[in-house]
Amino acid sequence: MKFESKAIHSGFSQDPKHGATAVPVFQTASYAFSTAQELADVFEGHKFGHVYSRISNPTVSAFESRITELENGLGSVAVASGMAAIATAIYALTASGDEIISSTNLFGGTFHFFEDMARFGVSTRYVDIHSPLKIKQAITDKTKLIFFETIGNPKLDVPNMKAIVEIANEANIPVVVDSTLTSPYLFQAKKWGVHVVVHSATKYIGIGGTTIGGIIVDLGTFKWRNARSEAVRESAQKAGHFGFISQIRQRILTNTGNILAPFNAFLFSLGLETLSLRLDKQCQNALELAQFLGSHSKVSKVTYPGLENNPYHELAKAQFEGQFGALLTFECPTKEACFHCIDHLKMIKNMTSLGDSKTMVIHPDSTIYRTCSPEQKEAAGVNDRLIRVSVGLEHFSDIINDFNQALSA
Amino acid sequence: MNVSINGQKEVLTQSTLTISELLKLKNVEMPEMVSVEHNGTILERDAFGTTHIQDGDDIEFLYFMGGGAH
Ligand SMILES: Cc1ncc(COP(=O)(O)O)c(C=O)c1O
Repeated sequence: MKFESKAIHSGFSQDPKHGATAVPVFQTASYAFSTAQELADVFEGHKFGHVYSRISNPTVSAFESRITELENGLGSVAVASGMAAIATAIYALTASGDEIISSTNLFGGTFHFFEDMARFGVSTRYVDIHSPLKIKQAITDKTKLIFFETIGNPKLDVPNMKAIVEIANEANIPVVVDSTLTSPYLFQAKKWGVHVVVHSATKYIGIGGTTIGGIIVDLGTFKWRNARSEAVRESAQKAGHFGFISQIRQRILTNTGNILAPFNAFLFSLGLETLSLRLDKQCQNALELAQFLGSHSKVSKVTYPGLENNPYHELAKAQFEGQFGALLTFECPTKEACFHCIDHLKMIKNMTSLGDSKTMVIHPDSTIYRTCSPEQKEAAGVNDRLIRVSVGLEHFSDIINDFNQALSA
Repeated sequence: MNVSINGQKEVLTQSTLTISELLKLKNVEMPEMVSVEHNGTILERDAFGTTHIQDGDDIEFLYFMGGGAH
């Protein structure tokens, strides 16, 4: 089946008892078994079953299976937010004394999380992800993973997957990629040899910015039995290829209780059904808007990989199935001009988040990145003249007209 | 042949059988989520189709995805 069909038919087909075709919401904390032996077998792992919704739940499993199918992966674990997905992947792979290699430009929340991990003895080496040499030089015997985003937020740079995966494979280090801005629809991670993908489902996977959630996907491309991370290696002795996924479920979900809620999983399964349609339209709107802003006299710069003069245009086209995502940034001559434009938008919302049906803007410098140092801001591509736009599903003429009147006001 | 499956002695009428075939024969639930331990070693997934079961073998089906807490 093609992506669009899998997005509708995988993970759940129909309820055997009533024939319901929408995934039922199993709003239950726990599960009863008819015999003591049965529950003992499930605890032992000899039988499949759900025992407690902090660890697994049928509605959440349906969403996980649908994502696994869409990613052509080995298995997934759905968690309470995109940050929970990132944190969980890091907890799974690192212990005190270990090192992460990360791109310098990251979503602000991820950056703050990496900084916080230093308190637990896990340090991060930030590198220019476009320099294979710098990545190689940053690898030590303590390195446990390489982390970056498919499209850096908000710099909108595009790392070369093949080049990074090659370095990682040589050093036996898993590559963990945040594919929030591309979703499984635009970026087929397995095709590029990536080992683990995380998504903030809050964004394109969910519908209309209603729900917080995230997911971690093991693409089945890493031999966990030989992993540098001790916990995963031990887990792979017991669980084989499920070494990574099983220790996330049985160690981290069980211990931290960060699983996704069943109703949110239901909404995400529904969201996946229209993901391709929504993203096609959002990417197209983004391109129209980028072209319009590029020709506007009050705009000094537009960054969007879909523009042919963008340095990442060809790479993005190859890696993201011919599309470029729905996030763009533009610069006004001054911070005051940015605020003036934002304050005069009528339809478009001034808010944090992205990937919603609504078009939204934010001034990253005074919000998400306000506590970062000037060097950190520069590395992330943030300055006080920058506005980030998450392009929504409205008619493109309404989006353009709103920007036009706000910039001219 | 005589084998042990999840700790239970069983007699299989087949003279030759791979792990993949056994998963089908036993109608194992959620086969995409099962790990198989063969004589004490966890098998790689791509070995299911090529690993032949011998008389006296010890086979365990293990679920790490579903929810059993180990
Ligand atoms: C690229 C990226 N990763 C992760 C996150 C975190 O996701 P969540 O808000 O669902 O925790 C976000 C946005 O918030 C994001 O833009």
